[in-house]
Amino acid sequence: MRYIFRYGVHVAGVSFAAATILTACGGDGVKTAGDTVSISGSTTVLPAISRAADDYTMQTGAKIIVNAGGSGGGFKQLAEGQTDIGMMSRDITAEERARFARHSFTVTAIGRDAVAPAVSSEIYDAGVTQLSFEQVTDIYMGRVDNWSAFGGPDRAIFAVDKEAGRGTRQVFARIVFGDKNMQAPGADLVVGSNNEEQTALAQSDSAIGMISFAWANADVRPLSITTANGAVAPTLDNVNSGAFPITRDLLIVTREDVSGQAKAFIDFVLSPEGQTHVVDAGYLPVNK
Amino acid sequence: MDFTRPAPPSGRALRSYFLISALICAAICAVILITLLGQTGPVLSHNPASLFGTVWNPNLGQYGIIPMLYGSIVVMVIAMAIALPLGVLTAIYIAETRSARLRGIIKSALEVLAGIPSIVYGLIGVAYISVWVAKGLDLQTGRLILTAGLILAVMILPTILTLTEDAISNVPVIQRENARALGLYRHEVILDVVLPHARRDILAAGLLALGRALGETMAVMLVIGSLDRLPSPIFNVLSSGQTITSKLGRELGESAFGSAHFSALVLMGLILVLITLTLTGAAQWLINRRPNGVEAIYD
Repeated sequence: MRYIFRYGVHVAGVSFAAATILTACGGDGVKTAGDTVSISGSTTVLPAISRAADDYTMQTGAKIIVNAGGSGGGFKQLAEGQTDIGMMSRDITAEERARFARHSFTVTAIGRDAVAPAVSSEIYDAGVTQLSFEQVTDIYMGRVDNWSAFGGPDRAIFAVDKEAGRGTRQVFARIVFGDKNMQAPGADLVVGSNNEEQTALAQSDSAIGMISFAWANADVRPLSITTANGAVAPTLDNVNSGAFPITRDLLIVTREDVSGQAKAFIDFVLSPEGQTHVVDAGYLPVNK
Repeated sequence: MDFTRPAPPSGRALRSYFLISALICAAICAVILITLLGQTGPVLSHNPASLFGTVWNPNLGQYGIIPMLYGSIVVMVIAMAIALPLGVLTAIYIAETRSARLRGIIKSALEVLAGIPSIVYGLIGVAYISVWVAKGLDLQTGRLILTAGLILAVMILPTILTLTEDAISNVPVIQRENARALGLYRHEVILDVVLPHARRDILAAGLLALGRALGETMAVMLVIGSLDRLPSPIFNVLSSGQTITSKLGRELGESAFGSAHFSALVLMGLILVLITLTLTGAAQWLINRRPNGVEAIYD
């Protein structure tokens, strides 16, 4: 009998429910007090902002907390007043605006990024270095399931998808599949952050995924896009010229009651000095 | 009896203190259930039929919870199938064949194991177990329903082991002595006397572990692969999946409070709480059930 109290079956289920309610009661919540600027959201925007925040903290002594959470989570926390700045790698949706109609939001682009279909290095080295939108769509819709269809090895395609609310996913789906909410019945695994995506692609030897340029590396190779006018390589030059098609602005969002400290930080990010951090993170600066 | 001890503190104050504590606990439980129930309104009025589907697509108003429910149950079954026999056999070994001192050491080690935060198991799962599973089975990813079940099995093993060991150790020595006196071999003593006697407590240990397996979030979320789809074929545990808890952990942060999406997530939470409550009730019933006549003589 006493063990019931010591270990408690209830603990697992009910504490989870309690957490649910705590989140639910967030409402119009309290912001972090004092001179701290709290920022959360897209893991695509995060590397640029956290670099800038480190520098800004060193220069001014201001306290800045930067957290991940994805574009959807970043917007929600900002809208509910839990943070000062939300990072987003996609636009605010109509539903999101309607949900928080009592607030007005200011969206500022701090840089530009491109998303590319990316494959495991084994597939890239075996010769699959470019795909068309139709071919990528075929993979994610489950119509093609072997790399041999694209000149690769005779190996099943392991398609890695991302959570629906993720900015990278929505941009990719909008431009490549033609609908930002398109589901991917061909997907074999769903991941969240860019970090997880990178790991999944690196651990596999026949995976395809969608990844921000800044997260590509020797194990995770971005593909060229096959178009009617030839292949467009995934380079920052091609993004800059507008030739590479899957691009988006890196955004930060604020509410109408933005604090002075948060504003000052945003001005810093947009300054020439702040923009060097955007470039260091592997993105393109905004042209002012 | 020892009549020299001081009298306990006066009854009335103490009694109301315990009563208030008990009432607060009951009230918290009730508030949680009522709040969850209240929050499920939007999805129930929005599209209740879609709840029993297999498609989860909030953008199209489809909230099929079957894949998540399936995932939760299958992961739990895998964990129990591994941990229960292992835990009970190990408990018999420790309780019946090892010295009291060794038993003490093993039990404290187990209680430390039971106290390790689940996120630690999750990190080990992502960094090592899932990689080993992928390599060992030659798969593209180790983030599978099976991996989640394996990690859960490790997590609930200490609970099963330590409770079962208690149950076996609590069987009165006189039972064993009588059995031995009747000429039973050691294995017969264990199988025919000790285990039947500890049966209820072992069952209760299993139910406690089962509750933990169902409610576990972080470790499962990190290794299960987050695929909101029934595997094909249906019992293919070597595919990615999703449990109710991992779904909530992944999506709660992104769903707007009060929306049908949020409410569908809350409904899943409610289902989980109801399953856990049922299990708790079953465990209590098993433990409180009147022991049979033979036991009563010696207890």
